[in-house]
Amino acid sequence: MPRIYVHPLPVRIWHWINALGFVAMIITGFQIRYIGLIDLMSFRTAVVLHDWIGFVLIGNFFIWLLFYLFSDKIRVYHPELSPMKHFRASFRQAMYYGYGIFKGEPNPHHVSVYEKFNSMQSMSYQVIMLLLVPLQFWTGVLLWDVKRFSGMIEVLGGVRVVDTAHVLIFIFFSGFIFIHVYLATLGHTRMAHIKAMITGYEEIEEEHGAGK
Amino acid sequence: MAICRSKLRVTGTKFHAGLIMSARLASAMILVAVASLSTHAADSALSQLDQQCLACHSAKGLEMKLANGDVLSLQVQGAVFTKTVHNKIGCAVCHAATSFENHPPVKRKIAGSREYSLEMNRVCQSCHAPIFKLYESSIHAALFREGNSYAPVCTDCHSPHAVMAKASYDAASGAPCSKCHDPIFNAYAGSVHGKTGLNCSNCHRAHDVTPATAGDQLKNACLGCHQGALDSHRIWLPNAGRHFDAVSCPACHSPTAKRKVDLRLYDNVAQERVAEREGVPQFETRARLAGAKGAGLDAMALRSLLRGFNIEGTDNRTTLRGRLEVTTGVEAHQLTRSAQAIRDCAKCHQQGADPFQSVTVSIVGSDGRSVRYGAKPEVLNSIVSVDSVGGFYAIGGTRIKLLDWLLALAVLGGIGVPLGHMTVRWLFRRYAKKISGKEDS
Repeated sequence: MPRIYVHPLPVRIWHWINALGFVAMIITGFQIRYIGLIDLMSFRTAVVLHDWIGFVLIGNFFIWLLFYLFSDKIRVYHPELSPMKHFRASFRQAMYYGYGIFKGEPNPHHVSVYEKFNSMQSMSYQVIMLLLVPLQFWTGVLLWDVKRFSGMIEVLGGVRVVDTAHVLIFIFFSGFIFIHVYLATLGHTRMAHIKAMITGYEEIEEEHGAGK
Repeated sequence: MAICRSKLRVTGTKFHAGLIMSARLASAMILVAVASLSTHAADSALSQLDQQCLACHSAKGLEMKLANGDVLSLQVQGAVFTKTVHNKIGCAVCHAATSFENHPPVKRKIAGSREYSLEMNRVCQSCHAPIFKLYESSIHAALFREGNSYAPVCTDCHSPHAVMAKASYDAASGAPCSKCHDPIFNAYAGSVHGKTGLNCSNCHRAHDVTPATAGDQLKNACLGCHQGALDSHRIWLPNAGRHFDAVSCPACHSPTAKRKVDLRLYDNVAQERVAEREGVPQFETRARLAGAKGAGLDAMALRSLLRGFNIEGTDNRTTLRGRLEVTTGVEAHQLTRSAQAIRDCAKCHQQGADPFQSVTVSIVGSDGRSVRYGAKPEVLNSIVSVDSVGGFYAIGGTRIKLLDWLLALAVLGGIGVPLGHMTVRWLFRRYAKKISGKEDS
């Protein structure tokens, strides 16, 4: 089966650190918010872990950002500037996941070095990586030391407003992470996309491939 | 002091004139003076004039019934007076208005003991103007201005004829503070500070005593001695700086106290708490108008109240800043050793935590004390309060319930959608193979 190199090493390193980090952030986030209901660790331990892992993730984010900023691979994130074209491709992809996949139809998206994301992925990853993740990091840093950033927190409407934004994005990621893992199993085999994120090579299966 | 001495001379002249004119009173005085000559010979520090006064006024049980029925003790213990800081200036400086022409009760009536204290208060000011200025800024003076007949004036704390240098406080009994604040002193006496013999004034100051809830004076008093407190808290307490701002020291260091949240109206432009306008009490009326009807503000009513304060000025000029504090002054004084202080984060950071079951909204009253209005605990957990109570949030403890539901929905959706999708794929697996098989061929 032909293979193409779609996940360069920095991207794979970033991805797996990010994956483990986000799982840890969600677990510690649950523990912080629901102490009494969940007792995996003490509140203080959860807060300290949440803070440290958060800073690791911020550093890790810059691996991703700098790699794409300084390589031609940034083309994988280039937006489709024609809304009609983008909408049609997204609709086709949604129809595949919602209907075609049950009939055994082939994935309408064909992976290539510069088009590793289908149009739904392309749109959602841009929103996630350029809006939600930075916003989560920013609100997280503000909440890490409320006193130090009190001026900025005041401008944003207060610590409750900042926390609510942080929790809303946390809620999104808590749901998204399950969907993300499930979609990763929709390759031509259940482990195809996951293996690709370890080796860097995506196997090209013309008829049955599916994006994660 | 020059002024005082000048008064002394003038008064002394009047005294001698009065002596001649008031023979009846003078003769009585001389009789008593002779009788007690041996006693006062020892009071060599006192002037002859003062000894003459004491000739009558050292008599045990000497008292006078005033116009309103109060009984005023007239006895001055010469031996004690000799040791006071006032022994050098003598009787006549403070009692300049008293001469033989108008010596009570024959020539002048005193309306009551309170009235007499106030009259003498003015005398204190003449020499102690800087101290009196401090007193003027105190809660005691504010209460006095409001007409509170129990508000202490100089002589209520400083026994008039026994003013010692910086020793008006008795560590054992807490006097004079405990005369009015007895329950608080009793609580304090058993506390870690009370046992070390610290005075009330070490934290509250002696003359410019501010209300406990006003400003940062008390917190600064704590940090004035415990200078390394913030650093030592930072070692184990995440967001220690924020805790220092939003949590009063006794909230953790008085571990058995009942805690509550006070949401304070704060003026962001003036950078201070909102205060009642002089003579125009507005807060309680507005709180009632906000729809509470005495039942406590709910989230909508609180929002409406805050909007009312913002109509007149810049938008969002007035916000709410929350503070976690103990419920009573007695509890605030039951401070324990730091090893016994609350260190368990779960005491506050979980749903239903005790401190968030009691909520008030407050403004600074005309006397400097907080004027509070009750609010329902739901104001801390409602999505409606995100904006209005934006300045107060305790992770877990005051979490917004709607977000809990959203999170449950997201997790259930995140698990349910893939499971549903997998199930449909499994149900259609034969059909899918058949179709894809056809396409393959």
